[in-house]
Amino acid sequence: MSSQIYLDYCATTPVHANVRDKIAIALDVDFGNPSSMHWAGKAARELMDQARVDVADGIGAIPDEIIFTSGATEADNLALFGTMQQFSPENAHIITSSIEHHAVLHAVAELEQKGYAVTYLPVDKSGLVNPDDVRHAIRPETKLISIMAVNNEVGSIQPISEIGTIARENNTWFHTDAVQAAGLFELNVKKQHIDLLSISAHKIYGPKGIGALYVKSGLDIRPMIIGGAQEHMLRAGTENIPGIVGLGAAMNLVRQHREEESRRLSELRKCLIDGLQSIDTCVVINGPDEKVSPHILSVSFVGFDSEMLLIRLNGEGIAVSLGSACNSQSIEPSHVLTAMNLSQDQIDSTLRISLGMPTTKNEIELFIKKVKEILPRSIIQ
Amino acid sequence: MTSYKVCVVGGHCSNRVMIVAEQLTEFFEKNGIVCQVFTHLAASEYGFPPRSNLILQLLPAFNEEEAGVPVINIKPLIGDPAHPATIEKILRHVQDYYAM
Repeated sequence: MSSQIYLDYCATTPVHANVRDKIAIALDVDFGNPSSMHWAGKAARELMDQARVDVADGIGAIPDEIIFTSGATEADNLALFGTMQQFSPENAHIITSSIEHHAVLHAVAELEQKGYAVTYLPVDKSGLVNPDDVRHAIRPETKLISIMAVNNEVGSIQPISEIGTIARENNTWFHTDAVQAAGLFELNVKKQHIDLLSISAHKIYGPKGIGALYVKSGLDIRPMIIGGAQEHMLRAGTENIPGIVGLGAAMNLVRQHREEESRRLSELRKCLIDGLQSIDTCVVINGPDEKVSPHILSVSFVGFDSEMLLIRLNGEGIAVSLGSACNSQSIEPSHVLTAMNLSQDQIDSTLRISLGMPTTKNEIELFIKKVKEILPRSIIQ
Repeated sequence: MTSYKVCVVGGHCSNRVMIVAEQLTEFFEKNGIVCQVFTHLAASEYGFPPRSNLILQLLPAFNEEEAGVPVINIKPLIGDPAHPATIEKILRHVQDYYAM
């Protein structure tokens, strides 16, 4: 196997050295339980407080509005169940989109089973939600709108500021899963009228097992985990201090590099598109031309089998994904690409390539070279 | 005569390849064809074709030149286990073998 190339940063990112150093302090030195009243507890609490400030600063919130969770899936679940469970099902309606992550879609489906009314908004062929559709879907009993900030499969940047404004005008809460946005986009919950926002550390060069939910001051949501007063009574259990410190450090890291990384990755993405399109006319880029995140490329090799491409690329040491990483074991058709009305043949030939801080131009060129070599052996017979 | 070996090749999903292999086993039994059906995941190994008399693949892992045996694309069987054109192709190869 030649040298390895990782192009699956949407699935997860490596822990950055600066983040690892901060985590080591929490593991080795300030190991206390932040609820303890002695010096060890105080030291751990100080680390946690600083991380809370760092995460809050990263999204324009205040520290008391940050609830640490085990990751974005729990944050999404807490946002949805925590909001809706205070209303009786017959008087509560949720609006979401058909291209949300399963952490949202499966939670919404569970609520639907319990009798809550749900509207699943469609997307256009680029994977974008139309704010007018949100406006038209609102009912008097609408309690929550949940629309992701950046789609994890095709990179479409959703109009969350407009949706936030619509939600505010209609006295409805707005939740956004900002997992794929946090690393490259400036988020400001106040300016964008966001009431609830989910993030994950491992998508922004932090550790796995830690995330956060922003809950706007004054919002009353119900906890899912009880048994302690931690996290403003919204998430019981001794805090994961090394993880929390890692999330704070990761948030600082991406904030510092956001603009230059966004520019750099945009250029790499363009090289990638140009290179792939020069190989064969079968190459079709999915998602918007403009409102797209620079770190995600969904590409269909029409007439070629994407699973075989992935297997052969993996054999060459190159890691990419089939549509969405969460689906790679079952290889079900991507719900995102299906919602975008792509044909089954196009879905079956789609790979997701995602870029990150360690990605170099050399890696992109090598990837293109390997695709060129492998493509003829992956034709659907 | 040694047992006729049919290899069903899939990608990552062992469930899918097992389901197709079981359906084919039933089909062969119903049609009185004596053969041994086994599975192979290309995600584990695609460099060397599995030893068999016939390769039925759900994705383009091997070609006839490298396999040295007939290779049939059976992807249509995922949606339709009785896909007529695919079943006919398989039957033709098996019958040719037993006619020899």
